[in-house]
Amino acid sequence: MALFLVNVLDGFVTGLLLFMLCSGLTLIFSMMGVLNFAHASFYMLGAYFAYQISLVTGFWAGLLIAPLIVGVIGALIERYGLRRVHKYGHVPELIFTFGLALLIEETVQFFWGKSQLPFSEPAALDFAAFAIAGNAFPAYKVFMIAVAMGIFLTLLYILTKTRIGMTIQAALSYPETVQNLGHNVPLVFMCVFGVGTAMAGLAGVIAGPVLGVFPGMALQLGSIVFVTIVIGGLGSLWGALVASLIIGWLQTFATAYDITAEQVLTAIGFTKPELIWDHPLQDLWTLTLPQLGPILPYLLMIIVLVLRPQGLMGNRES
Amino acid sequence: MSIASKTPLTAGTTRLISLSNAMPWAFAALFLLCLPFVFQSSSALTIMNQMAITIVFALSYNMLLGQGGMLSFGHAVYMGLGGFFAMHVMNMVEDGLWLPLPFLPVVGGLFGLVFAFLIGSFSTRRAGTVFAMISLGVGELIAACSVIIVVFFGGEEGISGDRTMGPPVFGYEFLTQQEVYYLTVVWLLVAALLMYLFSRTPIGRIANAVRDNEERAEFVGYSQRNVRWISFCASGFFAGVAGSLFAINFEILTEENLNLATSGSILLVTFIGGAGFFVGPIIGAVVFTLLQTVLGLHTELWALYLGILFVACVMFFPSGFAGLIAMHRRPLALGNLKLLIKPYLKVAVPAITSVLSLAAILEILFHKRHGYGGGHEMHLYGIAFDSGAYQAVGLAGIIAAISLFLVSRVLPEIREAWDSANHAEDRV
Amino acid sequence: MSAPAIELKKLEKSFGLAKIIQGVDLQIAKGERHAVIGPNGAGKSTLFNLITGRFAPTSGGVFLHGEDVTGLKPFEINRRGLSRSFQITNIFPNMTVFENIRCGLLWTMGYRYSFWHMIGRQLDVTEKAEEILEQINLSNRRNELAGTLAYAEQRALEIGITIAGGADIILLDEPCAGMSHSETDLIVDLIRNVTEDKTLLIVEHDMGVIFDLADKISVLVYGEVIESDTPDVVRASAKVKEAYLGASLEEEAV
Repeated sequence: MALFLVNVLDGFVTGLLLFMLCSGLTLIFSMMGVLNFAHASFYMLGAYFAYQISLVTGFWAGLLIAPLIVGVIGALIERYGLRRVHKYGHVPELIFTFGLALLIEETVQFFWGKSQLPFSEPAALDFAAFAIAGNAFPAYKVFMIAVAMGIFLTLLYILTKTRIGMTIQAALSYPETVQNLGHNVPLVFMCVFGVGTAMAGLAGVIAGPVLGVFPGMALQLGSIVFVTIVIGGLGSLWGALVASLIIGWLQTFATAYDITAEQVLTAIGFTKPELIWDHPLQDLWTLTLPQLGPILPYLLMIIVLVLRPQGLMGNRES
Repeated sequence: MSIASKTPLTAGTTRLISLSNAMPWAFAALFLLCLPFVFQSSSALTIMNQMAITIVFALSYNMLLGQGGMLSFGHAVYMGLGGFFAMHVMNMVEDGLWLPLPFLPVVGGLFGLVFAFLIGSFSTRRAGTVFAMISLGVGELIAACSVIIVVFFGGEEGISGDRTMGPPVFGYEFLTQQEVYYLTVVWLLVAALLMYLFSRTPIGRIANAVRDNEERAEFVGYSQRNVRWISFCASGFFAGVAGSLFAINFEILTEENLNLATSGSILLVTFIGGAGFFVGPIIGAVVFTLLQTVLGLHTELWALYLGILFVACVMFFPSGFAGLIAMHRRPLALGNLKLLIKPYLKVAVPAITSVLSLAAILEILFHKRHGYGGGHEMHLYGIAFDSGAYQAVGLAGIIAAISLFLVSRVLPEIREAWDSANHAEDRV
Repeated sequence: MSAPAIELKKLEKSFGLAKIIQGVDLQIAKGERHAVIGPNGAGKSTLFNLITGRFAPTSGGVFLHGEDVTGLKPFEINRRGLSRSFQITNIFPNMTVFENIRCGLLWTMGYRYSFWHMIGRQLDVTEKAEEILEQINLSNRRNELAGTLAYAEQRALEIGITIAGGADIILLDEPCAGMSHSETDLIVDLIRNVTEDKTLLIVEHDMGVIFDLADKISVLVYGEVIESDTPDVVRASAKVKEAYLGASLEEEAV
C-alpha cells in the first residue's frame, strides 16, 4: 500500500511534467495548426541553458532565465523561420519543425558534447520531504509538483478569467475564427509560440536534475509527448491533461511492479516448457512488466485510435 | 499484367512507355552496369550498393509523401520488417528451403505489404498531421518491440545470415561484392520502373488527386481512405524490397534499421531531393549517401551540415534539388540558358568560398572545444594550424565576411539575368 | 410514375443550438431543372451538403430515385449517379486541367482503384476527357496546372469535373458567383448544354440565370421551403416577395 502511494506520487510527477510539454504543444497546435515537432527540443534547450547559467549563478537564476531565453528563441524561430514556411501549408510546417529538432540536437552536441552533464537539484531542496512507510519522497519532487501545478493553475486562470484567454479559448474551439478576431494575428502567433516553447523550456529546467541532461533527452521524451496529445485528442487541453496523467501512471507502475509473464501464464494454468531457450514463445515467457513499460503508451495510442479516432477528448478529427 | 492484351500498340502515345520516356531508363541501366568498371574498389561498391538501396527506399517513401500527400515518421518500419523477414527466409534457405537469392526481395516486399496493409487499415483514415503522428507512434512501438521480441529481432545484436547458401543462379553464388552489386542494381531498376509505372495507373493519378484535394476526390467517387491505403500498401511493398536488399548486402539487421532515426533520414533524403518529382528521391539519395560517406570521413560535424542543409531547403527551396533543376526548364525551352551561365559562374567562386570559410569557423570552434588528445593542432583544407589561436577563427571570419559581401553584390545581377532568361521577348 | 430523382423527407440539420434546416420536404422529378433561391444564410449550401453527403442530417431522409441515401459518404452517393460543384472553387490545383477532368471520369468509366491499367494507354478515357475539355472551352489550357488558371476558367473547370463522370443528377452551387455578364452567359449556355436530359439542382443568386434556366423554383427562407413552383408562380407569389423583402430589410438593418 505504501509503495502504491509512492508510485501514485511518482506517476503524478511524470504526468505533470508531460502535461507541461503537452499544454504548450496543444496551445500552439490549436492556435496555429502547427504541430511543433521540435517541442521537446526546446525542453532540452531549457535544461542545457539552465545548466550553463547555474554554473555562474546557481540553480534559481537558471530556473527563471533559461525559460525566458528559450521563449525568445522560440519566438524568433517563429518570426524568421516558421512564418516563411507557413504559406506552403501545415505539412511543410511540420517538416520544418522536424528539421529544427535535428538541428537543435546537433547544435547542442556542438556546444556541450555528447555526454551527460552534471546538473543536479539545488542543495536547498536536497532532502527528503516526507516518508511513506520508510520510502523517502524527495523535496525536489514536491517542488516539481508545485511548479507544474502553479503553471497549470496560471494557465487555467488566464484561459478562463482574462480577455486574452477568452480569445484563445474561442480560437481553440473554432480554429477558423482566429483570423477574424481583429487582433494582429502574426503577433499573436509569435507570442503563442514563444510562450509555448518557454513552458517547454521550464519543464526542461525542472526535469533536468531528475531525468538527466544529455543530447538524447529530446528524443527520449519527444515521441511520448506526441503520443500523449494524440491519445488526449489533438487540440484538447483537458484531453492532454488526462492523457498525460494516464501515461505518467502507466509508466511508473509498469516499472515499479516486476510482474513476469511466467507468473501470469502459470497462474492461468499454462506450464512453462522445459527447454525455454529454444522455444518459439521464449520471449512471451520471459516478458516482464518493466520491459513492457516503454511500449505501453504506443499500444494505448493504437487502441485509442482504433476505437476512438478523434482521441479521448478530441472533438475534431483533423 | 493485362496491359499488352487490352489495346493494340498503335499510336506512339499508347505504348507502355514511349520511346522518349524509355531513353532515360536505358541510359540509367547502361550507366549503372558500367559503373563498376570505373569504381572497382570494394568501398566504392559498398557506397554504390548503399546508394541503390537508399534510392529504392526513398522512392517508396515518396509514394507516400510526394504522390499521396502522407507525411510519415515511421517508414523505416516497413523496410526493417521486410528486411528482418528476408533475413529469416535467408536462414531458412540455409536450412534447405529452395529459393534463389534474386527472388528474396519479393518475399521481403510481400511482408512489407502485409504490415502496411494491417497498419494502414487505421492509419490512413486521415492524412496530414494525424497520419504523421500515428506513423510516429507505430514506428516507436515497433522499434521498442524489437528489443523485447528477441526471437524475431535478435535483441541488441540483431540477426545475421549468409546470402551465399542458396541455389546458384547461372553459376553465380553472390560471393563477390560485384555480383551483389549487379543483383542490387537490377532490383533498383525493376523497382524504380514499377514505381514509375504505378504513378501512371488510375490509382496513381487518383493518389495525386487525393493529395491535392481529398474532399473533391470523394465527390468524384473515390474513398480517400481506400486510395491512401492502397498507396500505403504499395509503398510498404517497395520499402520491404529495399529492406531485403539491405539484408542481402550487409547480411545483418538491427534495431537501427527500423528506428525513428532511419525513418527521419529518409524523410530528409526525399525532401532534399525534391518530393514533387519522380527523380527527386533519387537525387536526394545520391547526395545524402555521398555526404554521409565522403563528408563523414572528414568531419564529425557532417550531421550538423546536413541539418542546416535540410532546414535551408524547407525554408528557401521547398521543391528540393529536383525543383531547382526543373526551374531551368523554361529558360532552356526559350533557349536562354546561356544568359545565366555568366552570373552563375560569377557567384560560384564567392559562394563556395563563403560556405567553406563558414564551415571552417564551425570546425575550428568545435576542435577548440572538444579537441582530442588535448592538442590544439588541427588540419583543415590541407593547412595545419593551432585551433586555439584567435587568428585562425579571425581569418576564417574575415574571408567569410568578404565572400558573403561579394555574393550579395552579385545577387541583383543573377535576379536580373533570371528575369530576362524567363522572358521570350528579351532575346531580341 | 417513376420515383423522383431527388426526394427530401422532413430533412433537418442543426449545428449546436442553431437549426439551419428545419424540416424540408422537396421532390425533384427526373429531367427537371430545379433552382433553389433564398436570402443569404437561408441554408442553401447546407441543403446541398446534406443531399451530397458532406454533412449527415440531424433527422429526416434523402432519397435518390427512391433509394435511401441518408448518411452515406460523399463517394457512395456519387457512385449512385449524383455529382456536385462547389461555391468555393474546389479543384485539384497541382494537376493539369486535363488530369482534373480525367479524375472526374475514372470511377464511372470503370477504372476504379486499378493499378494494372496504364492510364495514358486508355484511349476511351483520353477521348472522353478531350471531349469535355472542348465542351467547357478549355482545350487550349489542357496542360496548364489547374491552380494557375484564371477565376472564370477555374469555375468552368469546376463544372467540367462535376459533369465528367456522366452523373444523371447534377447539383451546382452558385456556378456564376463572381463572374462578369459575358462570362455568366457562357456558363449558362454551358450548363444548358451539359445538363440536357439530366436532373439539375442549382443554387444561384443571379435571378436572370434562374428564370432563364429553371423549370421549377423553390424558395428557401430560414431553413424552410416557403414556395416551390414554376417561375411564373414564384415570381407572382406574395409570400415570396414578403419573405425576400423582409429578409433583405433585416439584413440592411443589421
